[in-house]
Amino acid sequence: MIFLIFLSKMVLFFSRVFRLGSGSTWPGHMTLRIDPEIIEKIIDLNKDLKIIVVAGTNGKTTTTSLIKHALNKLGYKVFSNSEGANLINGIASAFLKNSNLAGWLDYDYAVLESDEFTLPLLLKKVTPRVVFILNLFRDQLDRYGEVNTIALKWQNCLKALPKETLIILNGDDPQLYFIGKNLRQKKEFFGVKNDLMKIKKIPHDVDFNYCPSCFSLLDYKSISYAHLGDFICKKCGFTRSSVNDFAEDMINYPLEGLYNIYNTNSVYLFIKKLFKVKAQRFNQLMKDFQPSFGRQEEIIYKKRKVFLLLSKNPAGFNQSIKTVINILKGQKANFLISLNDRIPDGQDVSWIWDVDFRPILEKAKSVFVSGDRLYDMVLRLEYESAKKNLIPIENLKMAVESSISRLDAKEKLFVLTTYSAMLEVRKILVGRKLL
Amino acid sequence: MNLNIGWLYPDLMSTYGDRGNIITLNFRSQKRRIETKIHKISLLEPGESILQMDLLFMGGAQDKQQEIVNQDLQKNKGGYLEKAIFAGTPSLNVCGAYQFLGNYYLAADETRIKGLGIFDLYTKSPGLNFPRCIGNLIVESYILPGVKLVGFENHGGRTYVNDRNLIFAKVLKGFGNNGEDGQEGFIFKNAIGTYLHGPILPKNPELADWLIEKALERKYGKKIKLAKLDNYFENKAKETIIKRYT
Repeated sequence: MIFLIFLSKMVLFFSRVFRLGSGSTWPGHMTLRIDPEIIEKIIDLNKDLKIIVVAGTNGKTTTTSLIKHALNKLGYKVFSNSEGANLINGIASAFLKNSNLAGWLDYDYAVLESDEFTLPLLLKKVTPRVVFILNLFRDQLDRYGEVNTIALKWQNCLKALPKETLIILNGDDPQLYFIGKNLRQKKEFFGVKNDLMKIKKIPHDVDFNYCPSCFSLLDYKSISYAHLGDFICKKCGFTRSSVNDFAEDMINYPLEGLYNIYNTNSVYLFIKKLFKVKAQRFNQLMKDFQPSFGRQEEIIYKKRKVFLLLSKNPAGFNQSIKTVINILKGQKANFLISLNDRIPDGQDVSWIWDVDFRPILEKAKSVFVSGDRLYDMVLRLEYESAKKNLIPIENLKMAVESSISRLDAKEKLFVLTTYSAMLEVRKILVGRKLL
Repeated sequence: MNLNIGWLYPDLMSTYGDRGNIITLNFRSQKRRIETKIHKISLLEPGESILQMDLLFMGGAQDKQQEIVNQDLQKNKGGYLEKAIFAGTPSLNVCGAYQFLGNYYLAADETRIKGLGIFDLYTKSPGLNFPRCIGNLIVESYILPGVKLVGFENHGGRTYVNDRNLIFAKVLKGFGNNGEDGQEGFIFKNAIGTYLHGPILPKNPELADWLIEKALERKYGKKIKLAKLDNYFENKAKETIIKRYT
């Protein structure tokens, strides 16, 4: 054990010294090959460590850091697998990195972000006090497979948890509400207040608006975004109740966008129930929260403000667009969209045709397009609007430089990219690689 | 001139950016001053409306959605679709839709799910322990000689065609129908079945134009030569994938 932890720390040390990356996955990867149960063994040595697991298609990294921030402010020691390393090797790395040579963890909480596929495996290894199930959207079908298959896998692994585990689910999502209702564990649902549900017609990025109970067409009184909303099945009566929307609580949301109201409400629900914290105190806790890299992160580059929004699937991209349009309040802006099709992005780029780009094209002075699949994106945008404000540039560095050089002193550049493209843009802007 | 384009089950069979095919048909028709009207035909719309269409499109979906659609096709709309296809209505059927048109689908547990029997082919699940056919797909179609078509495929079922004269394309890279015989898709009269999504039409304007041309020729009973459009970005997008594998 000591030897293994020592070894993993050496790997971490060398990968940093030789700049092989920040070491967020390698130590775990190598140690797991020697001892696949290293996470279980470290947890055995730290019986008082409380574990929180965060899963969902969108918002995992942000929610994980919101939870970590709130717990830190409440005086607890917390570690997490930050930097989005959310497979088992990344989670093992987080345990190894934060333990001493004897395997002891000087922490109260571990907040673990989990990839959609990893959740069943992770829940076999750890027994969490709390599990967050944020949302479930179509994402990278070539990698994750069908949404229904994931829902079934989640349902099965949640069912197997001890009765005392608190499961916090999105109650505005019909499928997740259905899964939650049928669990025998403690559960709580979060949502958003009715004023925020402004959509009346089913949007295009929904691919299943059928009742998870009887499979007839679901009716929505109103929708917040994608398939999240106030739903009812007229055939079997399936509808939601006791969803915490916090309409009465005056929360100051630390991040822009409706999707972040969901993320924040899930965290507030947890903090309120477990620590009896009320809205005013919660607002104080969250006051100095800083977004995670690439998630509404603002970077100053050559005296210009660059706003990064990771946008990797239809529901997420549409939410990024709505957020930008809200921030702009009618002003024009410059955009850079970079589309890659590497493993972490998903190799199938067909999803861009399910994103509604029109608002961007209408507000844009110019839209710079780059990335491995820039011409697919140019085509998508060209077929959406006849406006000729598209500027494709194959070389990403040149695209970043020229989009920024076009900005007036007070203008911002909004960068919307897939995962690997976001890391590349960030490297250009900040000068070093994060992962 | 005008075209009525029927989009079958847009709320259910629309998993792989399939809307892009409708956007492309619309865009490329309107560029030539051909008016278009898109008719969404799903569970609640009557099957008869299929017969009013000049061009039909149906996309792919996930298993649960396909189950719902298959029921509706068997009960309500399959007969109309068959009539339209036999009458020569150009139609594009991608992935799940392609499988529906065949004789049957043999599931992993050996249950036989009845298809519409419009295309003489069948699809078989290789079993749960076999991987899906996933990746970029490049083919050359027998109806567009010399033109490479590119897209993405993601399907578990393997399709077997009985009459090789009804194959749509030859696989240059990827799996195609079954990953064994180097063949891809099916064509019967003016109806095409294929595993190419991506979506298929934006990056393959030749095929989009083929469908528009056939629809107009059938509707107006004369030879149609569509005006040429500038396909610069369409070709660039296509070349990105072709270059990667050559």
